[in-house]
Amino acid sequence: MSTPVIFDPMTLPSDDNVNAYTFCVELKGSQWFLQKGKMIAYYGRIDFNGIGHGRLDRLVRTSFHSPLHASDWVVAEGSGKMLLADRAFDVNSYDLDEGNLTIRAGNLLAYQPSLALKQSIVPGFLTLIGTGTFVAASNGPVVFMEPPLRVDPQALVGWADCPSPCHHYDHGYLSGVLGGLRSLTGLGGVSGEEHQFEFVGAGTVLLQSTETLMPEQFAGTVPNEPGVPGAGPAGSGHGGPGAGQGGMGGVPRLPGQLGDLQRRFGL
Amino acid sequence: MGGPGAGGPTGSGVPFRRAAGYLRAVATFRLQGSKVLAVDLTGDTVKAKNGSMVAYDGQMAFKKLSGGGEGLRGMVTRRLTGEQMTMMEAKGQGTCFLADRASEINLVALHGDTLYVEASNLLCADGGLRTGTSFTGLRGGASGNGLFTTTLEGSGQAAIMSDGPAVVLRVSPQYPLSVDPGAYIAHQGRLQQSFQSGVTFRTFLGEGGGEAFQIRFEGDGLVYVQPSERNTVAGDV
Repeated sequence: MSTPVIFDPMTLPSDDNVNAYTFCVELKGSQWFLQKGKMIAYYGRIDFNGIGHGRLDRLVRTSFHSPLHASDWVVAEGSGKMLLADRAFDVNSYDLDEGNLTIRAGNLLAYQPSLALKQSIVPGFLTLIGTGTFVAASNGPVVFMEPPLRVDPQALVGWADCPSPCHHYDHGYLSGVLGGLRSLTGLGGVSGEEHQFEFVGAGTVLLQSTETLMPEQFAGTVPNEPGVPGAGPAGSGHGGPGAGQGGMGGVPRLPGQLGDLQRRFGL
Repeated sequence: MGGPGAGGPTGSGVPFRRAAGYLRAVATFRLQGSKVLAVDLTGDTVKAKNGSMVAYDGQMAFKKLSGGGEGLRGMVTRRLTGEQMTMMEAKGQGTCFLADRASEINLVALHGDTLYVEASNLLCADGGLRTGTSFTGLRGGASGNGLFTTTLEGSGQAAIMSDGPAVVLRVSPQYPLSVDPGAYIAHQGRLQQSFQSGVTFRTFLGEGGGEAFQIRFEGDGLVYVQPSERNTVAGDV
């Protein structure tokens, strides 16, 4: 019989993977940002506080700039070892050194406060800037690719230092009446690969090894200002969140301190 | 490890005790990959989750165990506590392959101690292990598993299932462990569990810490956690 490895606080790795699906973070009086519900177990004394906690104001001011996702994130503080995992997906840690990396919002699990988290202009993505470590999940192991390349939208996890993520459509799919009919109806054969994301320039693109997306939670919309991509239809007021955006079925979103008020109560 | 009949806990204080010798034939459990369990039988029996057999060679007979094979009393207890367990008994000569919905399988060796596991996470157990039910208190309520759990007692092997390979964590008096109720799958040894709640007025303002409920384990033993969380009542608080 193969005996399983038994871990205790001495043998658990420090800031490293326990296995492909579990990551161990060591806290020595330090803090980590953590997505809610990704902690599975911990040794020692660790406190978890919501982003809105008054004592954390300074920390939030320097390292958290994504009000949309505020209610998804907590700060872990204390000393001990903490295990992180996400729905049995592969998890990995990445080190940034004075760099930047943009990642799908649902894939990011945790990061060190020495990094600053900012909402990306690309809707649904978050950008990490600075020096430090972060932990991200992916469906299957992550593959690193060099641009120029075109990737399938479902396989994209994120990208680092890339200046130009953009859409790419196959020409035959777009041109002429026949092409239009084909794309609408699927008659005459659709390969499902007529649309890609294109990356050019220097940098790295991170792909997961499957096209099954990790399910994502609706996290609200960006303020409806002129010139902000992904914001609701123009003209429904300056600065205020528009009504009925993002498929929430016409429920008006109430303004709130960090994200909207409904979000805070899980609505 | 103490020899047969060595009584008392051995060495590090871990509650492993050898039973008074293996006199009967014992089924050996092997993992084929991480999602298929191979059980070599030489005329002995194992209890396995109903319908989990995927293949076998040799001579094998399967019999449904009503009420988990615990007799009438066990059947009534399980019905009352909602900790239903549909098990079958496999008996014969040869190798039996078991799997369930591509769940990861973890082997557990029992040496006279007790394993607490949810009936839904139990794949297979040596025929010589006694099964029963026990009250788990508030922990069960929070992990969405009901207030009762299944116990396995005796000496032998068992196989438990998890969503993703389980991490085995040792709890000792100087290192208590806190576990998210949704990630907990099983524990063994002499452990006291208490229910920890971090619910404050902030939780009701929608600014909770996200980890409002934890099970705290103290004492001596092992805890199995899976790298995934079940949907629990407390999951979003």
